[in-house]
Amino acid sequence: MEQFFTSSEQVQNIIKGFNLTKTLFVSSIIIGEPNIGKKSLARYLFPKAPLVSGENQEEVEKLLQEVDELIITDFEKLSNQESLNLDNKRIIATANYMGNQQTIDNLFAFIYTLPSLKERPDDTKHIRDLFIKEAESTLMLTENDFSIADIPINLSNNSKTLKKTIYTYLMKYSMDDKDIQEAIYNYILQNLNGNNEYKEHLGLYEKPLIEAGLKKYGSQLQLSQVLGINRNTLRKKIHEHRID
Amino acid sequence: MNIESIDFQSFLDWDNSPFILFNNQSKILYLNNSAEILFGYVSKKELYDLALAYAPPSFGHKTTTLSLNYDSFTFYAITVGYENEEQISIRFYNTPRVKPATAIERDKLVNTNINLLLEANIALFKTKNTNSLQLLADHDLPSFKIDQNGFSKLLRKTLDAFRSSDSIRITLKLLVGEHVIISGKKKAIVQLAIEANGRYSDTDEEIKSLAMQSHISSLLKENSIKLEIPLIQ
Repeated sequence: MEQFFTSSEQVQNIIKGFNLTKTLFVSSIIIGEPNIGKKSLARYLFPKAPLVSGENQEEVEKLLQEVDELIITDFEKLSNQESLNLDNKRIIATANYMGNQQTIDNLFAFIYTLPSLKERPDDTKHIRDLFIKEAESTLMLTENDFSIADIPINLSNNSKTLKKTIYTYLMKYSMDDKDIQEAIYNYILQNLNGNNEYKEHLGLYEKPLIEAGLKKYGSQLQLSQVLGINRNTLRKKIHEHRID
Repeated sequence: MNIESIDFQSFLDWDNSPFILFNNQSKILYLNNSAEILFGYVSKKELYDLALAYAPPSFGHKTTTLSLNYDSFTFYAITVGYENEEQISIRFYNTPRVKPATAIERDKLVNTNINLLLEANIALFKTKNTNSLQLLADHDLPSFKIDQNGFSKLLRKTLDAFRSSDSIRITLKLLVGEHVIISGKKKAIVQLAIEANGRYSDTDEEIKSLAMQSHISSLLKENSIKLEIPLIQ
């Protein structure tokens, strides 16, 4: 069975409420931001219930006639909410927002609000660790290749941006020189236009070169020797690329 | 036929209207079953004072129409009488319960352990509020028929009225000796009482209407809400 990890008291109370009413014929709705685990939670609690998206109105109406246990995701997308009859059925709906409060109030016995990932730091850490493990194995990296603490956390679109940020970050550690060249190739192919493009794109090479060099060797004097260029040239380039 | 040989007491015992006989020291000499229940909600002194206040000016019996309210008891009149200096009686007339206009929808009623619905609603309440909450439930209550969805909505609204209250106390119990007649049959009553230091009253009308739909009588006071649920089996 799929697991649903949470250490948030609020979410644990939601699970408790669902577990208590599991055998009863009541309608419940979980409302919360996109990509915070509403559907996973419904699936985890009712693994055998048929699942339908509110995008598919006809299918929802058909299933409501046929079954007495149903998960309806994207409930906010249904345009005929008022005409639905959810009595004497076990309905678990999920929605990204409430929509018409009066309608939701009339339709559902239990209205739960699932907190976003920002409000669940422990859960976020757990999900982040899962994503990192997954990315590590997909990209064939080991933990020695990078530092977990340096991976930025982006929760602007909850788990979606959290995952994207991890993959984008770790991808950089899995690249060899050929991958880097290909990445630059694709970038230049899309962005090359104008009349001073040689100089414009030189930063793609010079900026990371100098930044990494300064971090590794500390002084400009030493770096100019390593790079085999004049100290004044190096200083000029640092100024050009606005490197502190 | 000599009616003096008839013992009237048992008729009085089982009269649905509370009847109390005091002596002149306010000591109770007799009370019927219905008065016994009434004493759960009002003090002896209060009722004795009431009897004195509405007593006829001289020996005899006097009926006064007035509206009295003790918890779920409502009376529309009392009769106070005395035939000697030693004893005074008071009898209360029950206000008839308003019959709900809607018939019970039997197909919506499902045998339910009410404690589950209550606990689930408390869990829902706790996802939104951090108030301290005390639950005293009778776990020996038998399962009975409820419209689960309708009743859950009523519970949610009722608890919501206490969203910013302190020291919320919830009690669920069988009201011993009290009954309600539904579709011609006598049903026991389960009482859910929620009390706190105060509450919101913005949804009182909705609570009343949801309760009525489920044939539940609701008593909404400043600091408490009581729901009297018929135990239909």
